[in-house]
Amino acid sequence: MDTLPKAIMNALAQHGVASESVLCWLLCDRALENGFRDTYVLLTREELLILSHDQAPAREKTYSGYAANTPLKGLSPEKEAHWELEALKIRDIESLSIVNLVASGMVVIKAPEERAVAAFTNGGMRSAARLAKIFEKLKKSEELGPEELRDDQERATCPKCGMIYPEEGRQVCPKCMKKHAVFGRLLSFAGKYKVSMFWIVLFMLLNSAAGLVIPYFQGTLLFDQALGGKGTFAGQIGLVIALIIVFRTLSLLFGVIFGVINAKMAANIAFDLKSSVFHAMQRLSLSFFEKKQTGQLMTRINNDATELQYFFVDGISYFVVNAMNIIGIVTVLLIMDWKLTLLCLLPLPFVFLLVRKVFPKLWRLSIRRHKRVSAMNAIISDTIRGTRVVKAFGMEQMENARFQRASGAFSDAEQSFNKMGVTLFPVLNILTQIGGILIWAFGGWKVMQGDFTFGKVMTFMNYMLLLYGPIQFMNNIMNWWSYCMSAAQRIFEIHDAVPDVVEKPNAMQLTEMQGEIRISNVTFGYEPNKAILKGVSLHARPGQMIGVVGHSGAGKSTLVNLIPRLYDVNEGEIRIDGIPIKDVSMASLRTHIGIVSQDVYVMSGSIAENIAYADPDCTLADLIHAAKVAGAHDFIEKLPDGYDTIVGTGGHNLSGGEKQRLSIARAILHNPKILILDEATASLDTKTELQIQEALDTLIKGRTTIAIAHRLSTLRNADYLVVLEQGKIVEEGTHEQLLVKEGAYYDLVKKHDEALKMNEVITA
Amino acid sequence: MTLKDVSVSEILRPEDGGSSPGLAEAAQIRYLSPDDTEFTLTEGHMLNVKAGGKEHVGVYVHCSFPHTNKRIYLSIRTVENEEIGMIRSLDEFPEETQRMLEEQVELRYFAPEISKVLSVKEEFGYSYWDAETTSGYCRFTVRGGGGSVKLMTASRLLIVDVDGNRFIIPHLDRLSDKEYKMVEVCM
Ligand SMILES: Nc1ncnc2c1ncn2[C@@H]1O[C@H](COP(=O)(O)OP(=O)(O)O)[C@@H](O)[C@H]1O
Ligand SMILES: [Mg+2]
Repeated sequence: MDTLPKAIMNALAQHGVASESVLCWLLCDRALENGFRDTYVLLTREELLILSHDQAPAREKTYSGYAANTPLKGLSPEKEAHWELEALKIRDIESLSIVNLVASGMVVIKAPEERAVAAFTNGGMRSAARLAKIFEKLKKSEELGPEELRDDQERATCPKCGMIYPEEGRQVCPKCMKKHAVFGRLLSFAGKYKVSMFWIVLFMLLNSAAGLVIPYFQGTLLFDQALGGKGTFAGQIGLVIALIIVFRTLSLLFGVIFGVINAKMAANIAFDLKSSVFHAMQRLSLSFFEKKQTGQLMTRINNDATELQYFFVDGISYFVVNAMNIIGIVTVLLIMDWKLTLLCLLPLPFVFLLVRKVFPKLWRLSIRRHKRVSAMNAIISDTIRGTRVVKAFGMEQMENARFQRASGAFSDAEQSFNKMGVTLFPVLNILTQIGGILIWAFGGWKVMQGDFTFGKVMTFMNYMLLLYGPIQFMNNIMNWWSYCMSAAQRIFEIHDAVPDVVEKPNAMQLTEMQGEIRISNVTFGYEPNKAILKGVSLHARPGQMIGVVGHSGAGKSTLVNLIPRLYDVNEGEIRIDGIPIKDVSMASLRTHIGIVSQDVYVMSGSIAENIAYADPDCTLADLIHAAKVAGAHDFIEKLPDGYDTIVGTGGHNLSGGEKQRLSIARAILHNPKILILDEATASLDTKTELQIQEALDTLIKGRTTIAIAHRLSTLRNADYLVVLEQGKIVEEGTHEQLLVKEGAYYDLVKKHDEALKMNEVITA
Repeated sequence: MTLKDVSVSEILRPEDGGSSPGLAEAAQIRYLSPDDTEFTLTEGHMLNVKAGGKEHVGVYVHCSFPHTNKRIYLSIRTVENEEIGMIRSLDEFPEETQRMLEEQVELRYFAPEISKVLSVKEEFGYSYWDAETTSGYCRFTVRGGGGSVKLMTASRLLIVDVDGNRFIIPHLDRLSDKEYKMVEVCM
């Protein structure tokens, strides 16, 4: 547990409370009115302590995640706050609850009047949930387990800079994650391409070396020696031309070789990167994919992988070669004439300055343009995919107007981008050309003086032109480098993400399963302070059928998803055949469990592949039988392509009921010991449902089945039923017992019957 | 920047009871009228309401349109999220009640409004914000990649930090060029 601030320790001591007796505490950083004012809510075994002060609200706040290495502005009241302590005996408090507000929470106690104690911003939610839980345990005089007293739920902080990791469960400090560390890791990834890389760099160097001598041939050799009639090559124009051609060809040849090797490596690297990310993803738990930001992560993976591909393929080799080029050319120039060299490098600082200043602006404009294009495209795709809706409501005019606006916004952005572009680049051009003009001016003057030959000036000029490319490259490389490193980091993030649901190191293989399920006292929530299931217990003997009923949102699907361990329970335990499911290997657990869930998903592929998804090696006869049992056979036979019909993205459109029948067939073929039917027949019409129901009834024999059904009639064969209401089991028993009881189940049945009658009236 | 359509509040006029009486009947929403509704604030800062002779303790005020108009169509709900009734417009109620309910709205929808953006630094997929707000100087961290910074109306920007805390830029068009450029990168 985080230690209490000194001021609070002192305040506690002043009021005679030993700080060791504090079990847990919560900093409420919001005043109940507007603004930030700290109130501490602390819990000891006997008392709830509230420490508050009455100073004006703080005028500054640093939210978690922000690396607070710069001091605050000191806007808060200077003088030490005087902390008032209010102590309430736990036995006098009826309840303590955390009320969820928008992006905040509020501690409300009932003692015996309801009273809002204090509010806190969202960052405190975990501590608050913990406080409420410990309070409840204390209230019931239950012993506190070690997990309550240990507080590992606090956000972890970066050991280097002390910054709170911006994201839970992700031990990456974006500040301390050094770019060169990422770079090193990337390089190690490229390790197996060392040889290719070596060849690529070698041939690139040869390519530019061959290219580098050409200006010398063209200038000094051609003009001064061959034409000028002096030196070794005097008069030998043919030889010089031939040499130029040979070296050009060599340069070209080396270029082709490196291009070929490069292309091969590029494809391999892209393949490796994408498959490694995909593998890493498959290993993660369901909850990872449900977190919002990961959805975006996913869509970026492809882009990021491409980015990194360029990094390996173009980046590294071009960097080496360009660096060598710059060094080489500048050396040659300096040797030829250092004064002239310095003179024509004169405009360079201006070029750098301009690029530094103006490029970010251009970049921003291009981002804006990109965003507006996306917005416009979104509208286009909206209207095209939603044509049905647009036409049905006759909203074409409105869509036109909407498009017009987006298109106008885009055109504005495009214009300002282009304006900037068309002024920037000519200016840059002129600046770089000033170098050339300087050479001509100064060099020409030298030639007149007789210090220089004309060929030397030509050579100089040509080298200068060769230099600007690499310099441009180096100038942009910083931006590009951070861009690549962010891409790499996002990819490594997926690599490094720890699945929430992890297998024990030596998990048991469950070869045979009887199918006994025992759920004891399970509490579960997707988010802190929002328990969806509260103390649920359930026991299914092998071969039994248990029905789970309840209103939508009661937590039925959540409950059944815990059995194959798609999520881990927060409290309590689930055992199968007496073995806690946490001890069993996930693969062997899941082979014995079949789920037909309420939201069906068909994979891209043929219908046959979809049915045989879990057992690709099944016989065709089994496949067809499973489809028949699931009531899918008839509609499949009607399709022109039969079982070979391609469904899923871009394939044949199946109706909701058809998809559901496919997924039932999938589960039937899978032949699991435990069958979970989560509203498996919800989107079928009554007649089809009855047919499938009969088939399912025969199928259920010999399996433990947990069935959630919309239509209560489908649960008539259940050995017993549990009624779930807001995450709690409120009733259980057989259909008859529950009817006699006239409780929640009775109400459900009555409502259901009324609905059915209404249906009859409507359909009649 | 006007990709957003006509703001909802322009369409909704709180005075009328909707143009289709049939629909209103089907919806069966109970509107609280000032005549038989009485709000009180307890000493423990809880809101109680007495409507139609029935007293409800510990109720909360939800806004139907928290971004476009916080004063119309307020829903009074219990902590279990059961609706006790709706208020068409705060203007129907006496001033004291208005103030009381406004405070409750503030309590529920607390989100500092940014008056001046001091700096937005982007690094590794997060942006670090320094801003002057109606609640003082705030520093917070926002996840990059879009989705955390949203235009709610043509000029109102909602910023959600890594914990889900909310910040508002009420008038994007009133930012200086410099501020706007910093913000735009994150949008
Ligand atoms: N993946 C999820 N993340 C967060 N909340 C969820 C998720 N799935 C379901 N919920 C919430 O849990 C509650 C129970 O959902 P569910 O178990 O699907 O109910 P049922 O199947 O009984 O209709 C609902 O309030 C729902 O919003
Ligand atoms: Mg469900």
